[in-house]
Amino acid sequence: MSRKNRKKMDPRATWPQPVSLEERARILQFLEERFGFSPEIFEPYEFLATSKNYWLFVRTPYLGDLEKIKVQTAGLLFLRKVSGYLKPTTAALQRFGRYATKNLLELDRLTLDRLRLEKKIPIELEIEPGYVILKCEGQIWGCALYLPGKLISYLP
Amino acid sequence: MAETFELADRYFERYQEIIPGYEKFLASLAEPLPLYFRLNTLKLKDPESVLRGLRRQGFEVEPVERVPWFFRVEPREASLGNTEEYYLGLIYPMTLSSSLPVYALEPKPGELILDLCAAPGSKTTQIAQVTEDRAVIVANDRRLDRITALVANLRRLGVACAVTTVYRGEQFPMEVSFDKVLVDAPCSGEGRYRKGYEGELLYQKEGRTNLSGIQKGLLVRAYDLLKPGGLLVYSTCTINPEENEAVVDYLLRKRQAELLSWEAPLPSHPGLTEWQGRPFHPDLKKAKRFYAHEIEAVGFFVAKLRRTV
Ligand SMILES: C[S@@+](CC[C@H](N)C(=O)[O-])C[C@H]1O[C@@H](n2cnc3c(N)ncnc32)[C@H](O)[C@@H]1O
Repeated sequence: MSRKNRKKMDPRATWPQPVSLEERARILQFLEERFGFSPEIFEPYEFLATSKNYWLFVRTPYLGDLEKIKVQTAGLLFLRKVSGYLKPTTAALQRFGRYATKNLLELDRLTLDRLRLEKKIPIELEIEPGYVILKCEGQIWGCALYLPGKLISYLP
Repeated sequence: MAETFELADRYFERYQEIIPGYEKFLASLAEPLPLYFRLNTLKLKDPESVLRGLRRQGFEVEPVERVPWFFRVEPREASLGNTEEYYLGLIYPMTLSSSLPVYALEPKPGELILDLCAAPGSKTTQIAQVTEDRAVIVANDRRLDRITALVANLRRLGVACAVTTVYRGEQFPMEVSFDKVLVDAPCSGEGRYRKGYEGELLYQKEGRTNLSGIQKGLLVRAYDLLKPGGLLVYSTCTINPEENEAVVDYLLRKRQAELLSWEAPLPSHPGLTEWQGRPFHPDLKKAKRFYAHEIEAVGFFVAKLRRTV
């Protein structure tokens, strides 16, 4: 690319955009209904959107200024839009999972290791199918999908 | 075959006059560098579960009294990079002295902070931690491969207050002004040099680039990116005055910067006001030199400055 072309590129093209109030409300509602996250936890943050993802970024009056520079990443990759559903990322859960009050799945070490190895294990749980937060020996590990009779790992 | 290697004792001879306890310093070079990590308080305020986990894996772990949230680990030759605690983002392995520039910077929630040479992110993540993820950090590095490592660390530690950019620091766009800028400059790394069994110098950097020239360019740009009254911290992990005091002295001659004193949690010595017959600005005594044998970590240089106009 020539120097000139590079100059012309609008840095805003690389920036994810802040979501509207309605979209924010939808995200917060999902987080509260599925995992029991209180919306207050995310009060200091803004959600920024790209076509397939939501990013969490500290709320700041400098956002407009920052959009003048070309970024590689902005904030923490928080949710992925997967075929109409929202899937929390491992990074998001490892950071905020301890505030969850619903659909936290406590596994013993053996079951966790097996899930990591086999990616999918048969299991019967008393919970509504959907994404769950994996916990083991006091630490939050990440995300899995519970479907009737099986658990599918999203651990990297 | 005759190996041509440089002897550590010969290499450091030039600093005999400035390194306090020079003989002890030389002796300390034969010891491998101690291993430390920082607890990621964004995720965990009580270190107990981490300490228990690491001890179960055979590590000896002790808190560092003078520097909160830092822990010293033995065996120091081991790697923490494949522990569960690392994978879960509960710890960040880094040398103890690498925490010092952030002490000088005193980052506060809400401040707009530029980390001009940020990868792989030990200081970016420390700033995030100190401000409870509330400072606004622009973490820049000129190398895309190192930015990838930085992004991985930000994700691993769960930092949501940073953006990453890939600019040559000297050309960082002037559109935005910052409250604070950290220049943790590329340097010869003498503070981490060690000597091998035959007294040979280990970990010496390759190449003969003009580091001092690059550092001056970075520091002047960093100054220009500050708001009036903004703070600038310049740090290296080298002993070489050409890369330390001479660089800061250059800024003082080019711009209206003012050196500030600051409190460090580890023992230090004042910056030099003269080197090889060349005088530096007298305020350079406010900069701090940290020597490996006194702090049991990589040697460091840290200067804190303010933009006056
Ligand atoms: C001492 S290391 C930084 C360590 C980092 N601050 C940390 O605490 O993890 C210096 C960094 O400066 C980067 N660098 C070298 N030249 C640069 C330049 N001209 N502009 C910006 N970054 C540069 C290198 O790629 C390297 O990652």
